[in-house]
Amino acid sequence: MSIEKQNEFGSINITNEAIAMLAGGVVTECYGVVGMASQKFFKDGFAELLKGENYSKGVEVIGSDEGFELNLYLVLSYNVKISEVVLEVQKKVKYMLEKTLQINLKSVNVFVQGIKVVK
Amino acid sequence: MTLNINGDLFLKMLESGANNLSNKHHEINALNVFPVPDGDTGTNMNLTFTNGLSEARKIVSSNIGDVSKTLSRGLLMGARGNSGVILSQIFRGFAQSVESLKEADLKAIANAFQNGKTVAYKAVMRPVEGTILTVLRESAQAAYDWTLLNQSATLEEYFEVLLAEANKSLEHTPELLPVLKEVGVVDSGGAGYVAVIEGFLSALKGEIIEAHEVSEDLASAGANMESDEFGYCTEFIVQLDPNASRYDEQTFRSELESLGNSIVVVTDEDLVKVHVHTLKPGNALNLGQRYGEFLKLKIENMTEQHHTIMESDVPHATKPVAKEHSKYAIVSVAAGDGIVELFNELRAEYIISGGQTMNPSTEDFIEMINTIDADHIIVLPNNSNIIMAAKQAQDLLEDKDIRVLETKSIPQGLAACVMFNPEVDIDENIQEMVEAIQHTKTGQVTYAIKDTVFDSIEIKANDFMGILEKDIVVSGQDKQEITKRLIDQLIDDDSALVTLLAGEDTTEDQLNDLVAYIESTFDVEVEAHFGDQPVYAYIIGVE
Repeated sequence: MSIEKQNEFGSINITNEAIAMLAGGVVTECYGVVGMASQKFFKDGFAELLKGENYSKGVEVIGSDEGFELNLYLVLSYNVKISEVVLEVQKKVKYMLEKTLQINLKSVNVFVQGIKVVK
Repeated sequence: MTLNINGDLFLKMLESGANNLSNKHHEINALNVFPVPDGDTGTNMNLTFTNGLSEARKIVSSNIGDVSKTLSRGLLMGARGNSGVILSQIFRGFAQSVESLKEADLKAIANAFQNGKTVAYKAVMRPVEGTILTVLRESAQAAYDWTLLNQSATLEEYFEVLLAEANKSLEHTPELLPVLKEVGVVDSGGAGYVAVIEGFLSALKGEIIEAHEVSEDLASAGANMESDEFGYCTEFIVQLDPNASRYDEQTFRSELESLGNSIVVVTDEDLVKVHVHTLKPGNALNLGQRYGEFLKLKIENMTEQHHTIMESDVPHATKPVAKEHSKYAIVSVAAGDGIVELFNELRAEYIISGGQTMNPSTEDFIEMINTIDADHIIVLPNNSNIIMAAKQAQDLLEDKDIRVLETKSIPQGLAACVMFNPEVDIDENIQEMVEAIQHTKTGQVTYAIKDTVFDSIEIKANDFMGILEKDIVVSGQDKQEITKRLIDQLIDDDSALVTLLAGEDTTEDQLNDLVAYIESTFDVEVEAHFGDQPVYAYIIGVE
């Protein structure tokens, strides 16, 4: 599933991968987030910290007729107030994606996969 | 001239910083465009810092290490929003650095801010420059470097350098973050940090910044209180022990005087009865315990009692008491007596007070909705920043039929109410109301609190701005002129009805002047009311 749009010049197709990359980039700028984890956490049994170009593994894009739903798999810093950090992540991701892609996000779900003590 | 900061002085600095932040939080809110332009940075930082301060007040110790540790915990628990979380990290780093110290000297303070910076930076993968983090980093580093060259400087001098550097860095933030430059503001979080440092410096110089107004939360109302007015009513009786320290009533009394007031010390052979009002009852107990064992202890929190009294005085959402069951209820957010009245006339009986810069929370909605006994509840947030809170209330109160209409302005809310018909079913009502909302354009006139540039329109502080939906379209010094130019842009061939709501500072003559202007220029009907709303000189709805 990807975003398809038509305008007078032709059509635009934005893949889930691109959306995921974009979301990943936004997330890593959010305060309190120290890493993105693979969504296969439960299968692998540990939260793997993703690097650069693999951010999209920590982002799941679910599209439906009513709009898009994002699942984010994150690792947060130790000793931050998780509820607030997560709320800010949701706000920022929703705002940025809606602004850049002109799409509606139905929901942004955050799964905190781990807490990291940063030395 | 200060060379060392102990816990007591630090607490005074915190108080002054908190008050300064609270005094400026509306201003800071107005700067907030990043990461999400929701205008709540000042409020979030204020609530966070106030919570940190009230925790720090609870500690019975005059060690800076202990005070900053409780402060850090209070900030962590009370963190609100992005900037609040960052603030908690800064002082976590600060606290780690002075943890074992009774007093901190120049070197220790410079190190503590450096460590605050380090810790704050650790909690993010890719720090965005041009934010509070930048202001923190640049000022801490520059002030630290300065101390290396001026090792015998006083702490006043250190904080002066820190503040100057922070201001310099803050002024530079628009160069680093394009979105700030675009709107012509400095970073809001950075501005909050500067306010805190400014408060610190002022207290060091012996002038604790007072809070201007009793702000919306009671915790900071507590910060306004003179420390000698409230605190803990502490009473104890000590059985003097001949083997312990030598007891001298005069000395003991003067020691207690340094802790609080309303002091009564009665000595009877080997018993001493003490009564004192103090913010730190523990210190008073420690003093007493040197002379022997306690026979009796009683400590009461007078501040808390005072809060309870104040809380019952705080006006809140105007709640009609125990209404009978009805088919419909309309909940509307509004500020200004005239606007509230208009909503009431249009059958929106349940009003939650709020609006721009005063956003009601999800809890306010829940509290209000829980008092309502109706089949269908229609909620009109009347501001784009409030829609989310209303929707959360809707999600949390699953057992009620709540419909949140996404009204982004007062005129939209009023237009929706006009279309409401208690005789028809809910879906038909919603449909009509949504349609009315879509057909209503909103213009608002308010004044600028600072110089800025928006879409190449230059705006000076105290100028009036005409805002069409979300964009500033005109600005200038003459309120009437600006309003007319805004109206020119609002009204088009499809417009039929113009609703004018005059703000609390607007006179009848001014309102009449506008009505005459519209009637003579356009072929539309005009309805004018005194909305008495704060902040906006005029709110204009065009349908």
